[in-house]
Amino acid sequence: MSMIRRILALDGVNVVCHFRDDGYLLEGYGLMARDDMARLAQFAHDYRRMAQGNADQLAMFTGMRGWTPPHGWILRGITQSVCSIGNLVCLVSNADALLNEIMLELREVSHW
Amino acid sequence: MATLDELMKLPGAMAAFEFRGSGELLEQRIAYPERINESTLDLLAHMCAANMCIATMQARGWEKVTHMKGFYPIQECTLIGFDWSVVVSGLDRERLKDKDRGKTSLPPFTGVVLANEKADYEAAFATMENPESTP
Repeated sequence: MSMIRRILALDGVNVVCHFRDDGYLLEGYGLMARDDMARLAQFAHDYRRMAQGNADQLAMFTGMRGWTPPHGWILRGITQSVCSIGNLVCLVSNADALLNEIMLELREVSHW
Repeated sequence: MATLDELMKLPGAMAAFEFRGSGELLEQRIAYPERINESTLDLLAHMCAANMCIATMQARGWEKVTHMKGFYPIQECTLIGFDWSVVVSGLDRERLKDKDRGKTSLPPFTGVVLANEKADYEAAFATMENPESTP
């Protein structure tokens, strides 16, 4: 069984995807069509590149250490959130999700 | 609206700040001036404004393409850096937009910088989303 499947067992997690460094979907699990999983992977990859670039510039302009390289990000919408660490991204329902636990688990699994 | 002083009570809080949609820093509280100063917060606010704009564009596009709902507008945006995290909320702006559409002067964004080792993202979101403190 794929290691990332265990993230799907956490409360509130509806979809989890693992993507390559170019954004290509490697594997995905949960309640979503494969095409949308590929879009989610590409979106996560693009957002990560943007956020990483901005954090690099913040560090360069301010000289403050501790921002780069960034570990991940969370975007929280009205009822849904998207969380990512490394090359993993998951889609969660705000009402049920324990975000601290999800981020810890994403971090652990991203090292495998 | 969660006040800066409330945000400073969060575990690991290093600084809290308010900024305009353009990124301009309006007000701040700093717990460790030797680690983070006003100048750094100013640039951080500009970075957060940029990240929030891109995330909002992506959420809009995502909902249109997939027909899924619940992403737009983005309420909070979090960057987890190597040692520090920043959590930013635009929720008060969205609440005011709903109350009084067409109003041109919107409340500022609020943000908090947290040390990763103590960061509690759920607590940060709960503080920022507390409906009792809505203006």
